[in-house]
Amino acid sequence: MTLDTRIQLQDVSKSYRLGKSEISIFDSLNLDIPAGDFLAIMGPSGSGKSTILNLIGGIDRITSGQVTVGQLRIDNLSEAKLSRWRAQQVGFVFQFYNLLPMLTAAQNVELPLLLTAHSRRERMERVNTILDIVGLDTRGKHLPSELSGGQQQRVGIARAIAMDPQILLCDEPTGDLDRKSAEEILDILKILNTEMGKTIIMVTHDPSATTYARRTLHLDKGQFVRKELEHMA
Amino acid sequence: MSYGLLIGKNLTRKMLRSFLLILCVAIAFFIYSVLSSFQKSFEGAEATVERLVVTNKIGSNEALPISYWNKIRQVEGVESVTHISRLRAYYMNEFNVIGANAVDIPSFYEMFANTYSFDEHMVAAMTQKRNGALVGRTLAVKEGWQLGQKITLTSFRHFNQDGTQNWSFEIAGIFDGLEANVDTAFLITNYDYFNEALVRGKDVVSIYGVRPHDPQMIDSVAKRIDQVFANSGSETRSQSEVAFMKAFMNQFADVELIVRAIVSAAFITILMIVANTMIFAIRERLLEIGVLKVLGFSGFVIMLTIMAETLLIFALGALGGVGLTALLMPILSELLSSIVPGISLSAITVVQALGLAVIMSFLTGFLPAFKALRLPIATALKHS
Ligand SMILES: Nc1ncnc2c1ncn2[C@@H]1O[C@H](COP(=O)(O)OP(=O)(O)O)[C@@H](O)[C@H]1O
Ligand SMILES: [Mg+2]
Repeated sequence: MTLDTRIQLQDVSKSYRLGKSEISIFDSLNLDIPAGDFLAIMGPSGSGKSTILNLIGGIDRITSGQVTVGQLRIDNLSEAKLSRWRAQQVGFVFQFYNLLPMLTAAQNVELPLLLTAHSRRERMERVNTILDIVGLDTRGKHLPSELSGGQQQRVGIARAIAMDPQILLCDEPTGDLDRKSAEEILDILKILNTEMGKTIIMVTHDPSATTYARRTLHLDKGQFVRKELEHMA
Repeated sequence: MSYGLLIGKNLTRKMLRSFLLILCVAIAFFIYSVLSSFQKSFEGAEATVERLVVTNKIGSNEALPISYWNKIRQVEGVESVTHISRLRAYYMNEFNVIGANAVDIPSFYEMFANTYSFDEHMVAAMTQKRNGALVGRTLAVKEGWQLGQKITLTSFRHFNQDGTQNWSFEIAGIFDGLEANVDTAFLITNYDYFNEALVRGKDVVSIYGVRPHDPQMIDSVAKRIDQVFANSGSETRSQSEVAFMKAFMNQFADVELIVRAIVSAAFITILMIVANTMIFAIRERLLEIGVLKVLGFSGFVIMLTIMAETLLIFALGALGGVGLTALLMPILSELLSSIVPGISLSAITVVQALGLAVIMSFLTGFLPAFKALRLPIATALKHS
């Protein structure tokens, strides 16, 4: 099980074409994330943190190199296969929650389950269980606009884990939250990592957030510049 | 949660915008179904492709000799022939033009027994009363004429033996159309009575009506008739009743062209409005589309939901517009009874409207939906 979701970036380069010139984000980047890791990535804005998450989650394509998750090379999967794989294996948590504004909290969480063969009843049960996990069992019928930022992010996490993926990719999940809400969110992530064994990669600007992670990497100018001590949980 | 709900929520997230869009579509389809019904009725629902109309080749206002009657009867494939001559008359004041025709009653009865409610009784009454007239119900009601009433029409063109242009008739019968949309706003009188009294222009008729033995052979019969009179003093032009009615109506206005122009203008406007609105609506949702893709929804499914949304807009609008037409039809029918009797919303019009709605939803939905399909996730997520 744990072996199945080791994430490896090997000699990955990523560049964008801007007009006639190529802008290189990284060149020959290597990264190895064991299953069950909770990795925090820090770094100045524009350094490529989001790009790394996107490449691991299969929502952006590498220019060269190799991305492997478990036994699977995901960098050369077709769009359709990648999409199916992502739905099963990866959950995304965004800085600005990115909930669908016209759907209730429960409907937002149910959304990815539409892609499964589950009956309506099974979906509802799953939604209730997950809302319970993130501590929002009483807010299922609320629209995002009726929830605080912290609550919206809990819905965001609930949606990300609705399909029970092994990997959670969190792009500045507390970047828009006050201290207290941020800590609540980080607590939830920590529980998901320690108790449910999810691999979590979290981009953050907040040094105190990194204390929740098992280890932290610093990205600068397309390179991981200095590895900090691993703080084991 | 379901795809249906997702589509519905997308449509209703901006209630006012969606409502106005659907209203616009409904108005266009209302215009369409009213004009289309009008056109279909106007072109003569009683006209049939089973009968021929023979006119002077120069134009349907030019006369043909009465001597052609016998000659046409002898043309191979012809079963029966009748003739009709227009009086070109008005009643009381010259703005009140009356459709009055001098006809050979027995052959006219024979030819149109399946169209109007003539009976032997009326034919007998007309034989007895040389100055009799059979009046269509619509005309009788409009003028308030009763059976046995004497009426005097004034012809714009034809002089009577007494030196006036007045022609008097006694109403010998009132007939109906056998179907609601049959035009009965006219009367018929005895040709012989009319012809004898004429000062000038005797022994001619306006048109001949011909029924071939075999409706399938109508085109070849038409050709043979026209061949008989080729190179004669009055060449003929034979065509089906439907073609004739269309050409005749087009003398006043090319209704089909006008209807098409108005309907096209309405629909093109709608296409642009809906397409534009949908493009903006989708642009507002780029981030959400990206999120859906992150969750594993395929571009194709997202494309379908967007096209379903435009289909919903057009379906609701079309149903609204056609429904309103159906609702107002009794009133329209009343208002337009003398121009297009028995105007009605036909099943064909409804089906055409729904077909158009589907096509238009595709035309407006495809582009934004395709953009959504192609949108790279990473690009979409930058719209936070
Ligand atoms: N689609 C794109 N086209 C061109 N440049 C891009 C694109 N996406 C990201 N970049 C560039 O790549 C670099 C890294 O972006 P990103 O991964 O979002 O950084 P971070 O998340 O660390 O702030 C930035 O300089 C950004 O401008
Ligand atoms: Mg970023």
